[in-house]
Amino acid sequence: MSEPILKTSRVSKSFGGLKAIRDVSFEVAPGEIFGIAGPNGSGKSTLFNIITGIPFGPNAGEVWFKGKRIDGQPAFKIARMGLSRTFQKDAEFPDLSARETLAVSAVFCGGLDRRQAAERSEEAFALVAFAPHRRDMASAGLSVFEKKQLMIASALVSKPDILMLDEPASGLTKPEIQALDTLLRNVNAAGVTILLIEHVLTLLMSVSQRLLILNQGQQLAEGEPRAVMRQPDVIEAYLGKRTQ
Amino acid sequence: MTSSLRRFAPLLALALLLVVPFLATDSYTRHLFIIAFIYAIVAANWNLSLGYCGVFNFGHLTFFGVGVYTAAIAAKTFGITPWLAIPLGGITAAGAAFLIAAPVARLKGIYVVLVTFAVSQLAMQLVLSQSQITGGGEGMVRIPFLQLGDYSFIRDFKFGYYYVALGLLVLSTLFLRFVVQSPFGKALLAVRDAQDYSTARGISVSRQRILVLVLSAIFTGIAGGFYAIYLRVASPEVFGFGTMSLVLSMVLLGGVGTLYGPIAAALALTFLTEALAGIQGFEEARFIVVAVVMVLILRLAPGGLVSLLDRLRPSRPAS
Repeated sequence: MSEPILKTSRVSKSFGGLKAIRDVSFEVAPGEIFGIAGPNGSGKSTLFNIITGIPFGPNAGEVWFKGKRIDGQPAFKIARMGLSRTFQKDAEFPDLSARETLAVSAVFCGGLDRRQAAERSEEAFALVAFAPHRRDMASAGLSVFEKKQLMIASALVSKPDILMLDEPASGLTKPEIQALDTLLRNVNAAGVTILLIEHVLTLLMSVSQRLLILNQGQQLAEGEPRAVMRQPDVIEAYLGKRTQ
Repeated sequence: MTSSLRRFAPLLALALLLVVPFLATDSYTRHLFIIAFIYAIVAANWNLSLGYCGVFNFGHLTFFGVGVYTAAIAAKTFGITPWLAIPLGGITAAGAAFLIAAPVARLKGIYVVLVTFAVSQLAMQLVLSQSQITGGGEGMVRIPFLQLGDYSFIRDFKFGYYYVALGLLVLSTLFLRFVVQSPFGKALLAVRDAQDYSTARGISVSRQRILVLVLSAIFTGIAGGFYAIYLRVASPEVFGFGTMSLVLSMVLLGGVGTLYGPIAAALALTFLTEALAGIQGFEEARFIVVAVVMVLILRLAPGGLVSLLDRLRPSRPAS
């Protein structure tokens, strides 16, 4: 693998006596779509949180991004360095229009002026195929799929190196998931590395080039998606032990 | 309300306010307007931090008090012209806000309320204890008044003070309008509604909270400075709970997170309380009436007076 764009080295996170993430190490190559899967409560979102520092960093271990160690850095600075994420639950700025949401992100995360931010917003809207006539609507009035598109566009408007998506397909219909599949491929084709947490396995298997499986905060398997999914311990983590 | 009427309503209101001194020639009515303008500035600027950024700063009147005492000390003790003493109040208030903001920026919810309220009480104790400078509990009196060449502002039935106060209100409103419409202002709303999402978009939540407190203090301090020069008195009462609750009620009644709501509410509450004071039997009960009106409006329109006007707007067809 070429020099990794993102690397975690034995990262751990505990909440009191609960060990949410234990000694997880993995590397992501530039330009790939790297999937992260695992049963509920396996620590997928916590892993995203400690990489981005939102809302907390790791208790132990190291996170490296573009050759720089970033754990312990202020989270907003990590975002400005080019590590952009979305959230599992609907995150929105309800009183801002879609256009304003992107402009704020472009100015603060991308360091652009207003005119540049407006131009870049149009590019990001086009990349996620956000309907032009909905761009001046308040975010609160958008549909579930539009909110997902907007969250991804707001992450892309600052031209990040890595886009980290936390269950983007949750709550979407089948046609919308298909549209999301196309969207992710387009974003990746534009040169953005993607980290994808997803419960919808058809989407995850369709777009991921490599897959990391977590179970109870630990790294269970890593590799080519189909090979990983055939491993007995991965099947057991998802379906439980076979009884005779 | 149609969008064009909504757009021009502030200009229409300004045009009306500009002719008021020619219609109301008695100094008492003009005085009520001046006091309402001062409270409107304080309420609208408080709304910047409370309504737009969600910082529960219960020490906002500290900035006002700092402005009051800065202008009073500058003009009376140091002999600085009141024209300079007034804006000086804004500078020291902004400095005080920066000092308060640093520890408050990382706190959340009730802790912000507790710390900021404690700071306001601390400021009051400081004023009371430093009586050789501040006049202590008796305050400062006979503060120099505004003059423009030979023109004295205390002999014109408050005609000049009216326009200075209105001018300050206009400048404050233009300033707030510029702030809330800028990317910085949009980011305030973002921080208020979704902190983690804001951070993920490169916004420093702490920096926004510090800056909004400093910005909200500038015109509040200037209003405080003007208050001291206009009334020619600086009293520790400005740090008290009574003034704070009055201005807070203007923010809530007008509409949290709106630009013109607190201004309208400041005018409405000032004149309502005065009108009730003039009715026999209501002299003492007027505050109860005001409280009941507040409860009713917030019950029926939680978004304040401005949201009532919004309801009159024809609904937009679904896209």
